[in-house]
Amino acid sequence: MELNRRQILKYAGLGLALPAASPLLSACSNDKSGGGGDGSVKFEGWDYEAALVQQNLDNFTKTSNIKVNYTPITSAQYVQKVVAEFTGGGGPDALYVYDDSLAGWVEGDYLQPLDGMAGVDEVYNAIYPGNAAAMTYQGKRYGLPYYTDSNCLTYNTGILAKAGITKPPASLEELEAQAVKIKSAGLLQYPIGVPAQLSDTWWSWVWALVFGSGGNMFDDQQTPIMNTTDTVVKDVFAWLQQAATKSKVIDPACLQLTAVPIDNAMKANRYAYTIGARYASRDYNDATKSKAAGKIRMALIPSLDGQVHGTVSNTRLYALAKDTKVKDNAFKLLTYLGGLDANKQPYTAKFWFLQRGLGFAYKSMATDPEVTAALEKFADPAIYAHLGEIAKPRNVLGVPWYTEFETEMHKVVQGVLSNQTQPAAAVASLAQTVETLKKKYN
Amino acid sequence: MAVLAERRPLGDNAKAWALNAPAMIVIALLVAYPIAYSFWVSLQKNNLKRPRAKEFIGFANYQALLSDHAFLSALKVSALFVVVVLGLTVVLALILALVLNEQFRGRGLLLSLALLPWAMPGVVNGLMWRTIFDAKTGALNGLLTQLGLIDEYHAWLTSGTGAFLFTALAQVWNTLPFSVIILLAGLSTIPSELYDAATVDRAGAVQRFVQVTLPWLLHPLLIVLILETMNAFRAFDTIYVLTGGGPGDATTTIALLDVQTVLTFTDFGLGSAYAWVITAITLLISVGYIGLLYRKGNFEV
Repeated sequence: MELNRRQILKYAGLGLALPAASPLLSACSNDKSGGGGDGSVKFEGWDYEAALVQQNLDNFTKTSNIKVNYTPITSAQYVQKVVAEFTGGGGPDALYVYDDSLAGWVEGDYLQPLDGMAGVDEVYNAIYPGNAAAMTYQGKRYGLPYYTDSNCLTYNTGILAKAGITKPPASLEELEAQAVKIKSAGLLQYPIGVPAQLSDTWWSWVWALVFGSGGNMFDDQQTPIMNTTDTVVKDVFAWLQQAATKSKVIDPACLQLTAVPIDNAMKANRYAYTIGARYASRDYNDATKSKAAGKIRMALIPSLDGQVHGTVSNTRLYALAKDTKVKDNAFKLLTYLGGLDANKQPYTAKFWFLQRGLGFAYKSMATDPEVTAALEKFADPAIYAHLGEIAKPRNVLGVPWYTEFETEMHKVVQGVLSNQTQPAAAVASLAQTVETLKKKYN
Repeated sequence: MAVLAERRPLGDNAKAWALNAPAMIVIALLVAYPIAYSFWVSLQKNNLKRPRAKEFIGFANYQALLSDHAFLSALKVSALFVVVVLGLTVVLALILALVLNEQFRGRGLLLSLALLPWAMPGVVNGLMWRTIFDAKTGALNGLLTQLGLIDEYHAWLTSGTGAFLFTALAQVWNTLPFSVIILLAGLSTIPSELYDAATVDRAGAVQRFVQVTLPWLLHPLLIVLILETMNAFRAFDTIYVLTGGGPGDATTTIALLDVQTVLTFTDFGLGSAYAWVITAITLLISVGYIGLLYRKGNFEV
């Protein structure tokens, strides 16, 4: 065949275009590498300690001979990216799930229940009821526990001692009085800090204060009770407003602070109290990171009446994709990560606690000598375990409008803290929001 | 060779279409299709949390906006934000452009410095201003304390009014240079003879500005008004970083609400309707500007 200039250019163009087009085309396809012939499992999670996760997965591959393709995804976009992947038909086989995403992802047909699979009943019998409830949706079990935590009052014993305070507060009134004492002594202008800038993450401290006083925003049918039968929410809001605007012990700058600046302030002895997850105490007491190391302790959540009622917990879980083609291997991975090993020990849960202090769902770990020894370095094991026992999840996680409600609640609480919304109006507004959302989702 | 010799040459129109076709296909795929698709989605109940409830609902999403408290509140905030940002931008850009249009020592340096904020991405701009307004370590608090204007550090972004005004200021700082460039370009096209003639007619500085400068700047001002209105109406990144929309709803603009609706609440149907409303409003405002200013500029210049 005789080639002219036009033909040469045409073939050259085709030759260049094909390699360029191939990745584009393959990117458009719904490739599921996990469903490949080698039985490898496609596993995704947010990017917390990705190197440690990989190390643990390598150990799994070594012992099981199952290959795992692990992809860490930035936590700020984890939910959106996973939803996009499942929507596009290319989701993982096994993955991390936030408890507040579970209902939506089940409704979205992304996940499959684990009921009836080997060892699942055993796991659910071994964990705290609050964690089991958080991983159950409409009576079916969807996950094995990754980590859990409950909220506590964290306080700085050094600052309290300087103000002549010997024990942490049991009631909110006492908390305010202690904070006023610290303020009056000139130790801190604003002794209490909580993260109250609008963000996509939940405000655990608000739920902890409500649960801590025995209240709730919803009944078991997810009907709002915060402005009807349950007065605790309004009273907690009233206390928040008083502490922020009258006695001025809550830092007004909180409205522009997320969790990380609050942590940094605690580590720099700039707040005497905060309300947050237990595991933060490990960091606060780490001498390489914190000026407050050795002085930070945790206590039960102070309540309106001074009695012990409870706190809020959250649960992160490992779940199985509904459309996985490597179900058996993916479930083996799930069991390794969130279940019990051959010795009936929660190997990975213990690994995470010892490595990074992540809270555990397994009741037996609270009395494990290795765990308690590690725990004593940053917390009182008895209080830590007590918090785990009395913690409960938000009972509204199963509704599709939860995220919208949580977002609206942040705005309302900001209004309370800045004295722009009165407590009665705040709870009425929240109840109205729920009614509107229910109509929208019906 | 015989075949080539017989081929009729392409006409100008055909050549133009052939040459533009690749670009038009790419634009159609990457721009036109997503825009059309988003309109299609806005006519659906389409929330990723409830894929089984997905259905075509016509204009119900748009009708729902009329009683949507969050939308109406965000629309109000956006309108106010546009007015404040646009007012500040036009006045400051005009002053800066008039100054930079003069010849003086250090003009080049000042011009470079004035353009610097434009090079800054919105997120970086937001982070920078967040650091400046910080309640504990912010430069603004430091400066005002050292000047003796305040006794103690303030949390500037915790009141609704404060957060709104400081956010608007941060937005103006970021977008001002673009307006300055447009107006400066407009100023450079004004023939100096007009000023000479006005001076001979004993016109003062204000009269020269009103009678000569302003009419010649109507078209550049039109561009500034259109683009800055669109920018302010769609403002997202700076506000998101600086306040996240708070406190309360004080800085929740419609763009912020849109992103939240789509990405956080995964409500693609309603979010797409928000986006189309933003588009429709900016289009209406732009047409209004053109109607008001474009012809006026032609007649008077």
